[in-house]
Amino acid sequence: MKVCKGETYERVFVNEEVRLNIEQEADSHVKIHVINAPFSITVNQIGEGCTTEIYGLEHLRGEDDVTAETHVTHSVGGGTSNQLIKFVLEDNARGRFIGDLKIAPDAQQTEAHQTNRNLVLSEKAEMRTQPQLEIYADDVKATHGASTGQLDESALFYMQQRGIDKEKARQLLVNAFMKDVLNTISDEALREQLLDAIDGVVE
Amino acid sequence: MKALLEIKDLHASIGGKEILKGVNLVINEGEVHAIMGPNGAGKSTLSAVLTGNPAYEVTSGEVYLKGENLLEMAPEVRARAGVFLSFQYPVEIPGVSMTNFMRTAINAKRAYEGKEPLSAKEFLALMREKKKMLELPDKLNNRSVNEGFSGGEKKKNEIFQMAMLEPCLSILDETDSGLDIDALRIVAEGVNKLKTPHNASIVITHYQRLLDYIVPDFVHVLADGRIVKTGDKSLALELEEKGYEGL
Repeated sequence: MKVCKGETYERVFVNEEVRLNIEQEADSHVKIHVINAPFSITVNQIGEGCTTEIYGLEHLRGEDDVTAETHVTHSVGGGTSNQLIKFVLEDNARGRFIGDLKIAPDAQQTEAHQTNRNLVLSEKAEMRTQPQLEIYADDVKATHGASTGQLDESALFYMQQRGIDKEKARQLLVNAFMKDVLNTISDEALREQLLDAIDGVVE
Repeated sequence: MKALLEIKDLHASIGGKEILKGVNLVINEGEVHAIMGPNGAGKSTLSAVLTGNPAYEVTSGEVYLKGENLLEMAPEVRARAGVFLSFQYPVEIPGVSMTNFMRTAINAKRAYEGKEPLSAKEFLALMREKKKMLELPDKLNNRSVNEGFSGGEKKKNEIFQMAMLEPCLSILDETDSGLDIDALRIVAEGVNKLKTPHNASIVITHYQRLLDYIVPDFVHVLADGRIVKTGDKSLALELEEKGYEGL
């Protein structure tokens, strides 16, 4: 699909598998959230001054096996892209993030950020992360970061020392981890609904 | 007087290394006990063991809180039973608001006591009341727990949580470290305001300075995992003058 000059494509997909291949014309905007579903999103900025935002949140349990893929190409300059992909893995879940970010030789003054953070809550769960950056332009600002870790034991103990049982403390930390993805949703009613849904686990 | 806390021949280790080598201590209601000692003596280990920090192993000895076996309780149960630790290094918890954190903690304690949970309105009123009592700014509520707080703000936030939870035994672990004199005064005044005839405090400190503000009934010197000397507040002054080597 094509997002025409100056237009905006914004969608939040919840529990719905997503396969998208998008070309962005000049000054167009793309903002996509995928919550708890596999996705493969390819975006090519073919016009100047575009913005692309991709957010993914995967809370996997049981035998879940989910792959999230992003392929973002800045073919021309003056654009920005921002990706934040988070996985929470429990039980025997498997997650994989593949993130290609390409900045073409002519795509000067591009700003591109890709962040993948994963929380592994079980010894049997497994996360694989394959970020790949290809930067051929020199006047760009690009960052990427990937990290996979466990819950902060010192934070868990701090909460227990205040009387909060370990299970609830875990839930508070996991929810805190997930919240910043949901906080980027523009639609306030939907955002509050999704935030309430994760908070509901705590109450 | 009734014994609030009894520690009998407590031995504890971390990573196989013995740190506490037979601590004995009785604390009664209404008392303030200072524990002083050189670095590495086991001061922070004692607070960690009393609160059930899983990094430490109790190898022998007994601890009773109001006659109940404290060492058999999970950390959160000790907290609900009234043991509070003001952490030397309060932990930052990004994404968890102070309000949500504190309300969860208060209602866990109330459930333990067989009381109904506080409503949002009652809870906020309680927060305001305690803030006012301690003369703390209101702005902390909407921030994440300790995130981006200065050293002084973190310690004030510990005392605020202490005020909210009304513990029977407060352990202040190096609460004075990293505080300027104004923050130290506010923190100490807060601790003094929270003192009642029915609660007690253990003040762990390296320096005598804090004890100018929080006046102890007893001063204990912990060295190499044991309490080697006990006295009144003049012992702290003596230590300040002569150092721990002078004992």
